[in-house]
Amino acid sequence: MKAFLARNAFPLAVFAIAIAFLGLFFLWPLLKVFGASILDASGRQFTLANYTSVLSNRFFLKGLTNSLGIATAAAVCTVLVGVPFAFCLARLPIGGKAVLLALAALPLVLPSFVSAYALVLMFGRSGLVTGALRSLGIPFDSIYGATGIVVVYTLTLYPYIVLPVTAAFKSIDVSVEEAAQNLGASRARMLRTVTLPLVLPSILAGALLVFIEALENFGVPFVLAEDRPILSVEAYKLFVGETTDNPASAGVLGMLLILCTVIALLVQRGLLARRNFATGARRSAPLIDVSHALRRVGAAYCWLVVAAALVPFIAVVVISFMPFSGPVLHTGVSIGNFTHLFERSYRPLTNTLMLATLAACGATLIGVPIGYVITRHRSRLSALIDIVATSPFAVAGTVLGIGLVMAFSSGFLILTGTWLIMVLAYMVRKLPFSVRSAGAILHQIDPSLEEASINLGVPPALTFARITVPLMLGGIVGGFVLTFVTVASELSSTVVLYSGPWTTMTVAMFQALEGTSAGVAAAAATVLIICTILPVALVYRLLRRHELSML
Amino acid sequence: MTAITIERVARSFGATRAVDDVSIAVRDGEFFTLLGPSGCGKTTLLRMVAGFCALDQGRILFGDERIDTLPPHRRNTGMVFQNYAVFPNLTVGGNVAYGLRARKVSPGETRDRVARALKLVQLDGFAERWPHQLSGGQLQRVAIARAIVIEPHVLLLDEPLSNLDAKLRIEMRGEIRRLQKLLGITVLYVTHDQEEALAISDRIAVMRAGRVEQVASPREIYDRPTTPFVASFVGTTNLLNGIILGREGDAAEVEVAGNTLRLSGVGGNAGDKVILSLRPEALRLLAPGEAAPPRCVTLTGTLGEVEYLGPVTRFSVTLADGATLSLMALMPPTASGTVTVAFDPQRVVVLGVPV
Repeated sequence: MKAFLARNAFPLAVFAIAIAFLGLFFLWPLLKVFGASILDASGRQFTLANYTSVLSNRFFLKGLTNSLGIATAAAVCTVLVGVPFAFCLARLPIGGKAVLLALAALPLVLPSFVSAYALVLMFGRSGLVTGALRSLGIPFDSIYGATGIVVVYTLTLYPYIVLPVTAAFKSIDVSVEEAAQNLGASRARMLRTVTLPLVLPSILAGALLVFIEALENFGVPFVLAEDRPILSVEAYKLFVGETTDNPASAGVLGMLLILCTVIALLVQRGLLARRNFATGARRSAPLIDVSHALRRVGAAYCWLVVAAALVPFIAVVVISFMPFSGPVLHTGVSIGNFTHLFERSYRPLTNTLMLATLAACGATLIGVPIGYVITRHRSRLSALIDIVATSPFAVAGTVLGIGLVMAFSSGFLILTGTWLIMVLAYMVRKLPFSVRSAGAILHQIDPSLEEASINLGVPPALTFARITVPLMLGGIVGGFVLTFVTVASELSSTVVLYSGPWTTMTVAMFQALEGTSAGVAAAAATVLIICTILPVALVYRLLRRHELSML
Repeated sequence: MTAITIERVARSFGATRAVDDVSIAVRDGEFFTLLGPSGCGKTTLLRMVAGFCALDQGRILFGDERIDTLPPHRRNTGMVFQNYAVFPNLTVGGNVAYGLRARKVSPGETRDRVARALKLVQLDGFAERWPHQLSGGQLQRVAIARAIVIEPHVLLLDEPLSNLDAKLRIEMRGEIRRLQKLLGITVLYVTHDQEEALAISDRIAVMRAGRVEQVASPREIYDRPTTPFVASFVGTTNLLNGIILGREGDAAEVEVAGNTLRLSGVGGNAGDKVILSLRPEALRLLAPGEAAPPRCVTLTGTLGEVEYLGPVTRFSVTLADGATLSLMALMPPTASGTVTVAFDPQRVVVLGVPV
């Protein structure tokens, strides 16, 4: 026993920290939300009344069907857009692939509600394009509603399909396709009966991520749903509005959101259960020789998708430098919006930078050792930690935020209103990415390198510092920056947890949207875009693109 | 320069007994090889000596010192890994100096010893290069230099040649042997390649399913295998079932496939079953009408497939009971149909009763 403890001191210490951190700041808050949903107003008596009252309420039921419908539609649309894109990128001889792939991955780090807001600026009731169309006599109803939300999700979430599916298309063993053709299948038949089924697991995995993201997203429906109920938004509104100590209805909505995610996960698992297609490609499948015209079509399609996804962001940046009077846009160049944005304080910007830096440090410091231990010390315990550490991605930011407030507004540890509770929420939310990304980096570092170092007389802890960390450094820095930028554009838990002095850029933009200062919102959006693009561009060489889809 | 004593060592992974009560005594300065098919436990045993795999039972000593209780970084073994494990973030010089720095050797001495070690593996002038600029064979040399520069008690090599192409493999194994003799170091070497093991070793332990089948010199392993597994794993051989008919002192009459052979040095009593091992190169196909050479015994059968392999021709003869003999000869056979195979009974190895 003593020898076991001595030999496994490092993994055991890491697991203890992981369990303490996740237990306190992830599982405990979720338990609070669950408790609120099954307890009566006194907070002592078990009841299902909260569920029956929410589920018999037409408004909330509509919210549930809206959320599920939109998330499903988003998953289907991203698959329809993303799979052909991935195919062109992986298998057709088109130029500029590196650039295309980089641009296609970009929406993952950009705040999606900025894209939504850009659509409002262009296609909203008083939008630029809407106005232009109307003046030409073409009737155009505005972008608001389910259609608009699905469009934004499609344009911002399609990388979740493109990245894994491109990799899957590339990893198909050439001989499998050749065998199909040798047995008499035409090229079209081969694609349908061999190639597509082989990439199906990746498509489903990507579609699940899109579904979860769309379900939990707060900013996009907030901008585009108007008065249509959406679960993640309604949970927030209920929670902010509820005055009792026991936010029962918000708890029920939170549990419903988690339940939807769990069901989606189970459905995906079920579909994948008997489809383990590790082909172990010796030689990856070659580019398909197609006619010049088809090649052009493929290239045009890819560039069109990339442009459609990025134009909203470019439009916001352009518009932010144009003068506004109230909600009305004028032509010209002005930095008025920015002076307006920062006239009271630079705090939102410095808050964002500080909180994102702290959260990225925290997630890296906790996530990298967990990822290391899970990868290098396989056991039942590490499998369990793996599941717990990666499950925050399935929990909506709003729900986690509500849980954190409920858990830490009274009792032994009071954190509400502090910057710390925000950083903790971000750390929990980004932990899956840190853990998975560290694991992926480690998979490419042969364990014999560490053994060689130990064999040459360097003790394990020192070996970790001298050999493992330097080899992982590039990947760790890349993961750190990705965590930083995604935290900088985080809204769903921020909006629940922030307090006055700790207003972030996303909240500043959110407040500007609630008011009528469209110009300030555009300026805030531009600042956010810069905060995310700049760090990513600086370390782009260090990023491992296939991992982006784990964000 | 240390003897290695492995005493009743065992390790299970789940239900599999990877190493099953193994005892081996490697002499000081000996080149000792663990040979066996994949999964036989040879690498596990090597990793036990290095300290990367814990023992369920038994103990391991270097000289008189028990080392299986020491952590791996305190055992002073030099290990060469199958994939070289050259640190990609250090130069060649940095890699070779790595173990010396861990031992707090002074910078001046480190520089001298690194230079000497690189010279030994014929990489002088490579100290400033980076691993990604080197070929597989050069990486291999770096790994060896890194392992010997610390003057380890024993040098451990885990299939070090398996990632090299055939020609380089032969060159490198000669070089490893040369270095071992030059330094007089004890080597524990793991391979699944029987030709490599025969060419390089002082002694070989043939392993199978976690157990040692035979420990002997290469010649003895090949000429006097003690189990059917060793006979068939090292080189190719023909294994024939026989029955002892009777005995006269040291000699015994053994019936094999309808033929009666007089063999000397056979244990066992009348009625015992035995297995005979006949190496293909010990068998000779007689030309039509040719008499058997003196002292040789003969078997008759039907000539089967003939494979022309360039320097030699391989062919098979099916005996009366259906057993097939594989033969090798410099010239293609001239006979056909029913043929006679002659061999010196001295070259027959009689193995125990099949279990």
